[in-house]
Amino acid sequence: MAKVYKQVPFAAIVPSPQTENEGMVTGNWRFLRPVVDKGQCTECKTCYIYCPDACVNWAKDDGISFNLKYCKGCGICSNVCPVGAIARVPELDFDE
Amino acid sequence: MPIKKRGTGLTAVADAWQLADIDVSASYPIRPYTAVMAELAKRIANGTMKCEMVHGEGEHAQFSIAHGASMAGARATTGTSGVGVTYAFETYSPIAGSRCPIQALIGDRTLDPPGDFGSEHTDCLTLRDNGWIYGWAQDAQEALDNSLMYFRIGEDPEIMLPQIVAMDGYFVTHIAQDYEMPDQEQVDKFLPKFNPKFRLDVNNPVIMGPQIEPEMGPPLEWDRHVVMNKVKGKIVEVTEEFGKIFGRKYAPFVEEYMTEDADMVYVLQGAHAVTCRSAIKYLREAGYKIGMCRIRWFRPFPDEALAQILPKFKVAGVVDTGTSYGAPCGGGVLSTEVKAAMSEVPGKPIIQSFTSGLGGETITHEEFFAMAEMMKQTLAAGKIIQSGTWVNFNDYHEGASQINAAKTEAAPSK
Ligand code: SF4
Ligand code: SF4
Repeated sequence: MAKVYKQVPFAAIVPSPQTENEGMVTGNWRFLRPVVDKGQCTECKTCYIYCPDACVNWAKDDGISFNLKYCKGCGICSNVCPVGAIARVPELDFDE
Repeated sequence: MPIKKRGTGLTAVADAWQLADIDVSASYPIRPYTAVMAELAKRIANGTMKCEMVHGEGEHAQFSIAHGASMAGARATTGTSGVGVTYAFETYSPIAGSRCPIQALIGDRTLDPPGDFGSEHTDCLTLRDNGWIYGWAQDAQEALDNSLMYFRIGEDPEIMLPQIVAMDGYFVTHIAQDYEMPDQEQVDKFLPKFNPKFRLDVNNPVIMGPQIEPEMGPPLEWDRHVVMNKVKGKIVEVTEEFGKIFGRKYAPFVEEYMTEDADMVYVLQGAHAVTCRSAIKYLREAGYKIGMCRIRWFRPFPDEALAQILPKFKVAGVVDTGTSYGAPCGGGVLSTEVKAAMSEVPGKPIIQSFTSGLGGETITHEEFFAMAEMMKQTLAAGKIIQSGTWVNFNDYHEGASQINAAKTEAAPSK
């Protein structure tokens, strides 16, 4: 069977800004997933600033969440959180 | 009116950059590149040139600055030498992959250790697989002319690739020679302002260099492969147009010298071609039917041109002024490439590898004579006698050097 490649625009240049770009979903390379404890979170947004892949979202009513389609599980968000609100949970603990 | 000047390869490139009206130049000192940044700084300071000059904290930063500037739509340049080339290594593929046509000047210098300021092509040859287009200039004039042609080719909307104007350190970068600086109007006609289709622009934001899925990688690599082949057609077109506008005609890929009736040829690139030509004059008088093929482009490699030219000869001696330790057939990078390019060509000559001129050594007439003698023996034997000869080192050379010592004494005084 012929391989199916995904066509990419010239030099992979895509429009921006977008919170996510369906053309550029990265594979799941994580083995640890960031999970935020909203009870502890002060919504300081340090993690939002530091995530190298812009996976941290913040919404007024919902607080901090992670866009896992792009999260690499690098743990930077968890490291920089001043109150230790982000845990790193093994991927295999989740069903999806 | 074009102006006659006396300068070095580096002032010649500074002239080209001034004429090309570059927007940004990123710098970091390393001999022999340094003089070009000094020259630009001087021109900016005295108001001759308008250009943003940014100093990096090293070569990696330097190339990254040029990368960013190019993404923002600037005509950007940079350059380096020797271990500076290798220090910036991480940046080459991303620059080519994001199709940023920045131009770098590389004044070749031997790679350490220990510090050897002499010229050798090894530094620049190490980045041959990174998607940059490049070739070697033999003198200051060609350095200037190549710079203008490379901008034109690299910035072509169909191409969009970074370029390296490579030149032998010291031999080209530092020796004062006469050259012609073209007229601004001629350059404006030849080289339009850089106007990329995509750029970082707050009014029309784009993401450049995003993370991609593995399935997206091969099509991007394929694009780069295809465009590299397209460059060849563009080289022919641009070299011809350059000749028409500026009056200096270059062979697009391979310059032939005294090859009409030759059965042996030197194949080389860069500044040693100058010595090679005069050595050929002596050898011709001594009865050798020998000529020279000077390769003007290294990436893309001119395999079609070589396939057409080289079968005319019986022996081709590739002169490597760089190393690749443990490479096949005992040769260097250039001879490996020539052999690969000729592998399927019917009627190809016997291809012999010579390594000479390392560490900034001049390849002397005597060494060229010795190579000619070895080629002659190969011709007589109909096969390679020694695979990969380091001229001046290998035993095989000894016999040849005696013959040539006699020949040098007897050589006509020209
Ligand atoms: S683990 Fe890394 S990639 Fe994922 S959200 Fe945290 S900082 Fe971003
Ligand atoms: S860094 Fe920690 S406290 Fe601050 S917003 Fe992120 S999770 Fe909340």
